[in-house]
Amino acid sequence: MKQVNQVKNGAKFIKDTLHRESHDRCLWNARMRRDKAASRLPEWEQMRTLASEIKRHTLSNLDRYLEEFERNATSNRIHIHWAENADEHNRIICRLMQEHNVKVVTKGKSMTMDECEMRPYLERHGIKVYEADLGERIQQLDNQPPAHIVMPAIHKLRGDVARIFAEHLGSDPAIDDPRYLNSVMRNDMRRNYIRVDAGMNGVNFAIAETGGVVVCTNEGNADISANVPPLLIFSMGLEKVIPTVNDLGIFIRLLSRSALGFDITQYTSHYHAPAQGQEMHIVILDNGRSQRLSSPDYWEVLKCIRCGACMNTCPVFRRTCGLSYEAVYMGPIGIVLEPSYDMYRYARLPYSCTHCGSCGNVCPVKVPIPELVFYWRKEMVEKRYDQLFHRLEEDGMAMVLKNASTLSNAERLGLWALRNLPKGILQSGLNPWYSSHANPEPPAETFRQWYKRQNSSTQRNSRHE
Amino acid sequence: MNNQPLVHENEARADILSRIRQGKPTPLPHPDVPIFPFPGDTVTNFETNLKNFSGELMRFDSRSDAIDWVRHNLISEGHTVFSSVNELKDFTTTSADYPDPHEANVIDITIGEGIVGVGETGSVFVTDKSLGLPAAALFCTDLYLLLDHNAIVPSIQEAYNILDLRANRYGSFYSGPSATADIEAVHITGAQAELSLTVLLY
Repeated sequence: MKQVNQVKNGAKFIKDTLHRESHDRCLWNARMRRDKAASRLPEWEQMRTLASEIKRHTLSNLDRYLEEFERNATSNRIHIHWAENADEHNRIICRLMQEHNVKVVTKGKSMTMDECEMRPYLERHGIKVYEADLGERIQQLDNQPPAHIVMPAIHKLRGDVARIFAEHLGSDPAIDDPRYLNSVMRNDMRRNYIRVDAGMNGVNFAIAETGGVVVCTNEGNADISANVPPLLIFSMGLEKVIPTVNDLGIFIRLLSRSALGFDITQYTSHYHAPAQGQEMHIVILDNGRSQRLSSPDYWEVLKCIRCGACMNTCPVFRRTCGLSYEAVYMGPIGIVLEPSYDMYRYARLPYSCTHCGSCGNVCPVKVPIPELVFYWRKEMVEKRYDQLFHRLEEDGMAMVLKNASTLSNAERLGLWALRNLPKGILQSGLNPWYSSHANPEPPAETFRQWYKRQNSSTQRNSRHE
Repeated sequence: MNNQPLVHENEARADILSRIRQGKPTPLPHPDVPIFPFPGDTVTNFETNLKNFSGELMRFDSRSDAIDWVRHNLISEGHTVFSSVNELKDFTTTSADYPDPHEANVIDITIGEGIVGVGETGSVFVTDKSLGLPAAALFCTDLYLLLDHNAIVPSIQEAYNILDLRANRYGSFYSGPSATADIEAVHITGAQAELSLTVLLY
């Protein structure tokens, strides 16, 4: 299998000005709303610390909390299943569907199910799965994976959606008003809801103390899927468990504010038992998580609550779009999560980062994403999975930064090159900067030279006083 | 047809838990989680935030005034109205009329009980029992929730502090009607479930 080349994939999106500018604007708006929502709560930073500590506590006692969750859920008449990997997860769910003679499924957003590639698996077994979240449905009809974990079709323009809905749902291709497109989705899904045999949803939080799960959504589709059909199935990664309802209060206050900048989601729904005549199942998935937990440098990645705040703020993600990562998880959390699923395939992802650190600053549970980027680069170098270009760059930087005089010489050399090299070299592929920026005007002197001059003149002045 | 071996779930469970036990970090303490005060007048906050989520609010002097208003304005020929509210259910359809929740798709208007309101977010906590049939609240066009103003608490944390989640198979904070922003982040009220949500506050 080939390594994913996010830089090359992203370059295509960068050239598509209309899509790129809309994508960047939508995500940056979400980031700004997030800042506003956070600034209204003086306890915001304290809550981030608490959320991180609750997760650290839970993960370091994870066996105990999973058992407590299972015990309480079982006594609530919920069936709990354990899956080692994606294949087991899909087989468990497929078997449940077959036992209940399920033909039509409506499915809410679930990163866990996406991770397991569950939809194609069920479809291969003759079960019709309708993505019930608008963004997911658009992506399903367009035969693309989600491009963002919270806003799956945010890389598309309204015209794209109008074209897809016209082709698959028979709507008017000339009308691209999002309100109209939303009503097309609503009417189409109603036809599915009235004959749905099984509903499937992801899980935001599983409460050990009460044995119930919490699902946070906006469109109402997840609640319909959970309350109408006789079979209800949830999938959750095993890191989704939290100890108590009291803890839940902190996470609910952080989740939607971090994700989209709204104080809460339209529906914050708690499921603690099946309805009369209904069966409720929860599949708990490992798929490498217990392995990640055992790595002292890496386990805190499991704190992630999948809000997408790191994506909305990331300067690389905003300009290159989620699809360029060719992975289930994209953006900052994706580049540190995906190599743990397939280290070779995703070896280049940790290099899609400018080290601005913004992801770490907005993460509501303080996943140390910037540090984890370095963790993976180190792993890639050790495994020799990195690119020669990066290795030369890193070795060069190490040499230059090792002592002050080499650095100062390098600065002067850089300035000399900018002034004296012919345009043919400065404006060529040898200078990657030039591919998307103008070269800066060369200054008269390096910063160090300027600083020295200032300093000595200040000293002269102070002597005069 | 399906000749794959069955998944050995008990084995998976034991293996997963034992790997966690062996590999987990040294146990770290659980922090003390305070309930943060939420500033401002709770009922005013509730109204402002409900409107931010495109919900509507109607104030009544008493519960019976709210019930009267519903009886005179919502219950009419030509609409399918659903309610689980004691004073209304003689005039509306009830869960007994929909033994299969799929059938609730015909309902136009649903009137349910709100258990707790939240100032911080303008949310109303409802349950399977307080709605009568959750499918009726989700499938209807217009949802009305009765709420006692004394049942509004300042914050989400305080709501969790008084709610017994485990007592209800389904419990949810409804914050305005269904909505989406999945196309170019354009915010649209009325996605797949109810198109409008009105709180009848008494």
